[in-house]
Amino acid sequence: MQYLVQLLISGLAIGAMYGLIAMGFAVIYKSTGLVNFAQGEMTMITAYVAWTISTTVSGNVFVVAIGAILAAVVLGLVIERLVMRPMLGEPVFATVMVTIGLAVILRSAINFIWDAYPHGLDIGMGRGIVHLGGIGVRTGQLAVIATLLLLLAAIWAFFRYSKVGVAMRAVAADDRTALLMGISATKVHALAWAASSVIAGIGGVFFALSYDLSPAMFQLGLKAFPATILGGLDAVLGSGLGGLLIGITENLAGGYLGSGMKEVAGFAMIIVVLMVRPFGIFGERDIERV
Amino acid sequence: MRTGDYKQSYGELVALIDSPPVWLWSAVLLLALIAAPYVLNSYALSFLMIILITVTGALGLNILTGYTGLISLGHVGFLVTGAYAYAVLVSKYQMPPLVGFLGAGVVPALASLIVGAPSLRLKGLYLAITTLAFSFIINTVILEMRWLTNGARGIQVQRPEIFGIGFDGDAAFTYLCLAIAALTLFATLNIRRSRVGRAFVAIRDNDTAARVMGINLHTYKLFAFVTSAFITGIAGALYGIYLSFVSVEGFPFLLSIEALAILIVGGLGSALGAVLGTVLIVLLPEATRLVFSLFSAQMDAAFTTGAQELKSMLYGLVIILFLRFQPRGLVGAWHDIKRAWVHWPLRY
Repeated sequence: MQYLVQLLISGLAIGAMYGLIAMGFAVIYKSTGLVNFAQGEMTMITAYVAWTISTTVSGNVFVVAIGAILAAVVLGLVIERLVMRPMLGEPVFATVMVTIGLAVILRSAINFIWDAYPHGLDIGMGRGIVHLGGIGVRTGQLAVIATLLLLLAAIWAFFRYSKVGVAMRAVAADDRTALLMGISATKVHALAWAASSVIAGIGGVFFALSYDLSPAMFQLGLKAFPATILGGLDAVLGSGLGGLLIGITENLAGGYLGSGMKEVAGFAMIIVVLMVRPFGIFGERDIERV
Repeated sequence: MRTGDYKQSYGELVALIDSPPVWLWSAVLLLALIAAPYVLNSYALSFLMIILITVTGALGLNILTGYTGLISLGHVGFLVTGAYAYAVLVSKYQMPPLVGFLGAGVVPALASLIVGAPSLRLKGLYLAITTLAFSFIINTVILEMRWLTNGARGIQVQRPEIFGIGFDGDAAFTYLCLAIAALTLFATLNIRRSRVGRAFVAIRDNDTAARVMGINLHTYKLFAFVTSAFITGIAGALYGIYLSFVSVEGFPFLLSIEALAILIVGGLGSALGAVLGTVLIVLLPEATRLVFSLFSAQMDAAFTTGAQELKSMLYGLVIILFLRFQPRGLVGAWHDIKRAWVHWPLRY
C-alpha cells in the first residue's frame, strides 16, 4: 500500500512537470494551430539558463526565478519573430517541419554553449524531505504540484476574463474574423510563444531541481507529448491534467511492469487515445467541411 | 524553335523517361558509378556506400510521405526492424543472406500493418505523432526481447555472400548497394506511373476527392505503408551490414529527421528529389568541413571536436532555409533553371 502511495505521489510530481510542458504545447497549438516540436529544447534552455544564473550570479530563489522567466520570454519572442513569423501562411507541414529543424539546432546549440555533463541545479531548496503520514515527499515535488494547480487556475481566469485572453481565443477560433475585429494576430502569436516558453520553462526548472540537468533533457518534451494528446491539443487546462494522468500511468507501469514499460507507457497511451478519441479528452472535435 | 514540353498522348504522360538525352545521361551516371569503386579511395568510397544506402531508405519514405502525403516521423522504426530482421535471420539462425533480405523487407512490412491500421483514422499531425510513438515503442520492444535480439548488446553482422559471390570488400559491397538502390529507384519510378501511384498522389492532393473518384483510401494507404516499410527495411539491413553491428543505438531518432530533411531538400514527392537530397545531405557535413579547413586549421580542429553537434545543426539549418526560401527543393530549383534556360531572354 505504501509502495502504491509512493508511486502515486512521485507520479503526480513528474506528471505535474509533464503537465506544465504539455500546457506549453497546447498554448501554441491553440493560438497558431501548430505543434511545436522544439518545446522540449526550449524548456531545456530555460533550465540551463536558470542553472547558469544560480552558479554565476546568485543562488537566491527569486533572482533565479525572475532571470529564468525573463530568459524564457526572450527565447519565445526571438524564436517567434525570427523563425516562425516568416512561415506565416505556409502549409502546416512546412511550419511543423521548421519547428523540428529548430529543435535539432537548439539541441546542438545547448551542447555547444554548455557541456555534455550532468549538472545539479542547487538553489538551497527543493531537495529536502517532508513526511506526510509516514511517506517521505520532496519539497520540490510538492512545489511543482502546487505550481501546476496555481497556473491552471490563473490560465483559466486569464482566458475567461482578461481582454488579451479573449483575443487569443478569438484568433484561435477564427483568425480572419479576429483580424476584422481589430485583433493583431501576430501580437497574439508572439504572446503565445512567450507564454508557452515560460510555462514549459517553469516545468523544466522544477525538473532540474528534482533530478539533474543533462543534454538528454529534451526528451522531456517527447515525454510530455502524450499528456497534451490525452488532454487535447487545443485544451490548455486539459493538457495540464493530462500530464498528471500520464505521470501516474508511467510510474505505475514502471513500478509494477518493469522499467521498459515505464519508457513506453505514455506512447502506448497516445496510440490508444488517438484511436478512440483523436481530439483528446477535453479537446474539441474538428468537423471537416467538403 | 523549341517552345516547351508538349505531351500529345497519355502514353507520353506516363513514360518512364520523357526525352532521349535523359536515357543517355542516366547511362553515363550508371557507368560512372560502376567505375567509381576502382577510382575512389576508401574514404570517398564510404561516402558512396552511405549515399546508396540512404537513397534506398529515402525512396522508401518518399512513397509514404512524398507520394501519399502521410507524414512519418518514425521511419527509423522500420529501418531498425529491417536491420534486426536481417541480423537475427542471418547471424543468429544462419539463414542464407537472400532470405535475410527478404525478412528485412517482410518483417517491417508486417510491423507497418500494425502501425498503419490504427493510423487510417488519423491525418496530418496526428499520424506523424503515432509514427513517432511507434518508433519509440519498437526500440523498447527490441531491447526487451533479449532471447531474440540480445537486448542492448546488439548483434554482429558479417558481409553477405550471395550465389557464391562474396561481398566482403568495400568495392563489392558498393556494387550490392548500387544494385539495390538502382532497383529501388526503378521500382519507385514505376509505382509512380502506375494506377497505384496515381491513386497515391490523388490521396495526397485531396483525399475526399480521391474517395469520390472510387479510390479505396484504406487499401491504398495501407499499401503505401507496406511498400514504404518494405523498402526502408531493406535499407536498414544494408545499413546494419555496413555498420557490421546492429544495435538500437546505431539507429538514433535523428535518422528519421534526416530522412525528412532529405525529402524536403530534394523536393517532396519526386524520386529524383530523393536522390539529389540524399547527395546533398550526406555530403553537407563533409563539404562544410572542407570549407572551414580552408580558412584555418583551428576551425578544422573545432569541427572535429564538435562534429556531431555541427552536423545536426546543419541539418536543422538546411531544413529551415529550404522550407523558407525553396519549398520545392532542389528539383524545383532545377525546373526553374531549365525553364529559364529554354525561355531566355524572355521571362516565360
